[in-house]
Amino acid sequence: MSTRIPRRTIAAFLGPAVFALAVVGIVPLLYALWKSLHYFNLTKLAQSRFVGLDNYAFVLTDWVFWQAMGRTATLFIIAVPVQIALGLVMALVLHRPGLTLWKTLTRLSLVLPMATTYAVVGLLAQVMLNLKYGVINQMLGWIGIDPINFIGDPTNAFLAVILWDIWQWTPFVALVLLAGLSTVPPEIEEAAQLETKSNWTILRHVQLPYLIPSLVAVLILRTADTLKLFDMVFTMTRGGPGAATEFIAVLIERVGNRQFDIGMASAQSIIMLAITIVLARIYLRLFYREVR
Amino acid sequence: MTFKTQASAIALAATAVLGASPASAWSLEEAAKPYAGTEVEVLFLDRPGYAAAIKMLPEFEAATGIKINITTVPYENALGEQVRDFVAGGDIDIALIDLVWIGNFAENGWIEPIEKFTADPALADPALEIDDFFPLVLNAFGGWNGTIYGLPFDNYSGLLFYNSCMLKDAGFDAPPATWQEVMDTYGPALTKDGKYAYALQSKRNETQSADSFARFLWPFGGSFLTAEFKSNLNSPESQAGLKFRQDLMKFMPEGIVAYDHSEAVNALAQGDVAFITEWSAFYSTLASPETSTLGDCLAVAPEPTGPAGRKPALGGFSLAVATQADDAEKAAGWLFIQWVTSKANAGKYLELGGVPARQSAYADPALAATYKFIPALVESWQEGVPEFRPRFAEWPAITEIVQEWGTKMMLGEVTIEEGAKVIGEKMEAVLAEAGYYDGNKPLAQ
Repeated sequence: MSTRIPRRTIAAFLGPAVFALAVVGIVPLLYALWKSLHYFNLTKLAQSRFVGLDNYAFVLTDWVFWQAMGRTATLFIIAVPVQIALGLVMALVLHRPGLTLWKTLTRLSLVLPMATTYAVVGLLAQVMLNLKYGVINQMLGWIGIDPINFIGDPTNAFLAVILWDIWQWTPFVALVLLAGLSTVPPEIEEAAQLETKSNWTILRHVQLPYLIPSLVAVLILRTADTLKLFDMVFTMTRGGPGAATEFIAVLIERVGNRQFDIGMASAQSIIMLAITIVLARIYLRLFYREVR
Repeated sequence: MTFKTQASAIALAATAVLGASPASAWSLEEAAKPYAGTEVEVLFLDRPGYAAAIKMLPEFEAATGIKINITTVPYENALGEQVRDFVAGGDIDIALIDLVWIGNFAENGWIEPIEKFTADPALADPALEIDDFFPLVLNAFGGWNGTIYGLPFDNYSGLLFYNSCMLKDAGFDAPPATWQEVMDTYGPALTKDGKYAYALQSKRNETQSADSFARFLWPFGGSFLTAEFKSNLNSPESQAGLKFRQDLMKFMPEGIVAYDHSEAVNALAQGDVAFITEWSAFYSTLASPETSTLGDCLAVAPEPTGPAGRKPALGGFSLAVATQADDAEKAAGWLFIQWVTSKANAGKYLELGGVPARQSAYADPALAATYKFIPALVESWQEGVPEFRPRFAEWPAITEIVQEWGTKMMLGEVTIEEGAKVIGEKMEAVLAEAGYYDGNKPLAQ
């Protein structure tokens, strides 16, 4: 016998969540959308006016915006594959039977980098990578390598941000993929191990199909995180030297919080949101199709 | 005579003199009585001058019953926090104003002119003696377009801090008097064995604009703007200054574009560089054995002169009453500002690590022995330029441009001419948008 749940009950259960989402997410988004159509500078409120799509036209033709977007894309293209590769290796090692205590300790320690506040991660980098007093340069000195100017050189600073991002987020990827590996039925893995001794074959044909949802989740979350990457960079390099580490979120913060041009920053944010949504849809179409 | 005893003596003398006049009716305790229990909100920075004021605070609160609630924020956040608070009609009752924010705050009507309080006999301390402030400092830090809004509180001038022992070892009995000497003599002699002559803090934030970029404009005859508010950065004088900065980098540590105040001060404190040009407020950091190895080797002089004179870096903060405060908060806030910047408290403020802007505080020649920065500071405040950085409301937008392209110049990513041209074009676009070129705004900076 099937019982039909009254619509009122459904609404009562869903209502609070929908209301919270609307208040926390939708209303600010609509407000940002509205402000993006205005000249709205906090220090020049008297000059506020509706400007239609002018802010969007400016942003889309602004070389500074696309340079920041290019840096963000470069960071993503380099960092995320490395995180996935290293994370997969770590997950596979932790997935092997035996050494239970060590694996438990390793899992716990993997949480530490991503549990550390982003801003603190950046401050740590600034101190550890200091040319004169940083521990990293001191350690390089022990093996005869001259100090490297990590923060003061544009290329090095960019690479340092990538390295630091990999350090912080590889454990996250490893834990997600480890969770994905735990969904592979043990009898299938055991049967595959009887068929072949090649770990690569088992990974490719048995484990990887089960990892696709985890990889999609990792890609979506890391894409959003990379586009939002701000705190760590701000405390580490503040977008410098020059504009070498001015990623898209750092640029938007500068326009909104330092130049107080909320209209322009809103337009930049809306464009960034659109890019994130498009990328998320692409991932779902490309990868989820295989799972279905 | 210590400052505490000197201040007490001044206070006693003032009481004795004023005792015979009608002004004797005024006292802080009486003036504050209607506002006992009032809470006043203000932002402070984590710098020596603020620590000094915090140490003095219990005395004010005990005398008045007014509670001063302090929120300490990093400098980088102070402007944004206040702008958002004022726009939203928030809680801040006293504005902390960097000299480059004064135009912004005044034009937006976020701060009250001090006349509102000095004209009120119930609130105005007869011993305020506004003329006792260094005129340059009062006008630059607290004044806008002929009106005084704030009283100078945390006051800086750029000074040359140097390691006299390093200079002596290299054969110098005195610090460089001119920038040309730095380039020709001191730089080559002091840059050796892993040590450098000079560290110029140039990180991409206000440090790049104020401490690095502007520092080499003015002494060479350059400036940000012409009298018509067009860019002056490609003038021969400005170009000479900026090229000089570029050439001088060979005597600075590698990665100087990543140096903020703390790195530059630390480089001198640890004996890695022979001299720095830093704000006077860092004297206590460099003089303290807890934070510096310099000891008796620490010496202070005015900044070197350029072809156009000294024109040292000028910076600092005033305190002003916020218009959004209610009447009781305004009155209580004013009483605090007046008290903490007063002539009577200047000595104590100095003793606790602050730098007062009261001329009378530096009158005793014996003080120079205790506070080595005093003669250089007093000399610098005679020769400063109020518009060292333009103080109009557009500075927050312009400083971001200068920070980006000034750093790119130093990194060699663009030439000095190209960088100055880009800054000039972008700066003029900001000023055009603001209405300076169509007569909508007075050309005040």
